[in-house]
Amino acid sequence: MKTYSRELTVGVALLLLLAALAVFAPNFFDGQPLVSRLASQMPALVLAVGVALVIMTRQIDISIGSQFGMCAVIAGTAAASGMSMPMAMLCALLAGALMGVVNGWLVAGLGLPSIVVTLATLVTWQEVLRLWQKGRLLALPDGVQWFGTSQGTGQALVIGAAFLFLVLMAWAMKHLSIGRRIYATGSDTEAARLAGLAPKATTFGVFVLMGILAGVAAVLNLVQSPQIQPNSGEGLELKAIAAAVVGGVAITGGRGTLWGVLLGLMLLVNVNPALTHFHQPPYWEKAIQGLVILLAVAADGIRHKKQKRLK
Amino acid sequence: MKKSGFFNHLLEKNEIILFWVIAMELVLFQFLGRNFLTSGNVSNIFRHSAEIGLLALVMTPVILTGGIDLSVGSLMGLCAVVFGILVKVFGIDPLSAAMLTILTGAMGGGVNAALVAGLKMPPLIVTLGTFSLFRGLAEALTRGSESYSGFSEGFLALGNSDLAGIPAQVWIVVVVGMMIWLIVHRTTYGRSLRAIGYGEEGALYAGLPVRRNLSIAYIMAGAVAGLAAVILVSRLGEARANAGMGYELLAITAVVLGGVSIFGGSGHVTGTVLGWIALAILNNGLTRISDYEIFGEKISSVARELSGLLTGLLLIAALALTICMKTLAARRVAKQT
Repeated sequence: MKTYSRELTVGVALLLLLAALAVFAPNFFDGQPLVSRLASQMPALVLAVGVALVIMTRQIDISIGSQFGMCAVIAGTAAASGMSMPMAMLCALLAGALMGVVNGWLVAGLGLPSIVVTLATLVTWQEVLRLWQKGRLLALPDGVQWFGTSQGTGQALVIGAAFLFLVLMAWAMKHLSIGRRIYATGSDTEAARLAGLAPKATTFGVFVLMGILAGVAAVLNLVQSPQIQPNSGEGLELKAIAAAVVGGVAITGGRGTLWGVLLGLMLLVNVNPALTHFHQPPYWEKAIQGLVILLAVAADGIRHKKQKRLK
Repeated sequence: MKKSGFFNHLLEKNEIILFWVIAMELVLFQFLGRNFLTSGNVSNIFRHSAEIGLLALVMTPVILTGGIDLSVGSLMGLCAVVFGILVKVFGIDPLSAAMLTILTGAMGGGVNAALVAGLKMPPLIVTLGTFSLFRGLAEALTRGSESYSGFSEGFLALGNSDLAGIPAQVWIVVVVGMMIWLIVHRTTYGRSLRAIGYGEEGALYAGLPVRRNLSIAYIMAGAVAGLAAVILVSRLGEARANAGMGYELLAITAVVLGGVSIFGGSGHVTGTVLGWIALAILNNGLTRISDYEIFGEKISSVARELSGLLTGLLLIAALALTICMKTLAARRVAKQT
């Protein structure tokens, strides 16, 4: 019980928020809008899971928003040029993997600090996208939206796919050796190396996986609208990182669960609809997001200090 | 003959490379561009990059401690909005408003300082949080879209007039630059920053006031971000929530280009200044090239995107270069022993 106290706190906060909404704004839980809102958050969930893995290895990737945008535009262009949907999806995943390789090589291969590397790739991909698309909307051909099925089926597919992915990843993190390697690399890189766990390869792999997941997220986002905005990924990195940190993934590496990330994301994304439902202006979204990150960080910091004192 | 520290450092490797980079940029843009090396454009180069110069200068002590401050650009946005509100809504005179804005910046830096130095949390995640918080507050204060303009002539002169043939705000950069140089290279405080960068634990056991000195670095960064915001508003004549967006990257790039180690502990303010000048020339030079095309567009019309792209690539290249030089040096040492 004590091990998961951090996740429990977030869960209780989320329950309180939902309870408040149930009492004061019951139409928040109307069926169809709720499903639509949930489906629209699934790309962010996939990104948050990916970035949680990166943070668990004691690295960070702030280029995921730009990777997401690149993957979306690449998949959209592929689909618009007449490629079949599975091929277009594959293009997105491949593009993501390639961008992940760049980050992974610079961080794990050359030993450069991930914050600066991904800050540089964030801008690089973002500007490549701007030069390429010049801010144009990209219209998608028929058959892409909702995978060519009805809206209801499409939304069910998106939500189902994201949750299946989450369950599988959460299981793998707990029961597969690769999952334990990620935790080991994050909690003590040197010890992991001495134990023969190849922390560099793990770090590299996590960055590549992050790129692929940016591609997955882009596809899950792509199928939900008839067109894509090239800047659709801007700011997504903050949302994903905030979800991970709020959900109890320690920024110092080696600690956190993917269920916590889910709770963190749900808490974070429901603050804004809650604001609108309580008739508060929505301009506060970014400020609240920042405040929630800082609160989570401060809570971890205070807990860390207390533990030190107990020792 | 005893050389002064300043010129000694100018002769260091990294600075020589930067001199060459700057010289090559000048030659390249003079040949490819139009009206590049005119006195008007040279003052433009410095006028338009004064804010980034200030941020880069004040980012140097932070990076020397092994930290980073991603929030300076967002803090500029918040400070610009605060300044706009103070002058236009409360009717305070620009000078007092500027002082209050700098104070606001210092308080923003204080938030970073409290979390980084007080709670010992990683500067990266703390300043990522305040990056979002400060920009969000700026957007909330302007309800997403409002902006403030119509400032007095006297105030706009700060951003748009010359003093002794040099843009007025460049004088401020020069003064701040000299102060930062003195602080970093001529005081025990500056020395302690590098000690913290080499090893915080060691600095602590050596009896240095690590917490206090770290706090000062972040608060200083915040205060100067406020100053940069005032200068930006004065130059543009408008205070908006998106002021300074992306400036943190340019500032960090200038510092890293200047040879300050991103891992902390070593680096020189002269390098930062040269890195800043190299970036400033790149940004301006691209807007002057109207005879050549890229992706079917005139280079000057996509100069902003292109210079952003080149800045990103330049940052990666500079980092990779420092790492390669480090490994080579380590190998040379290994061979000798």
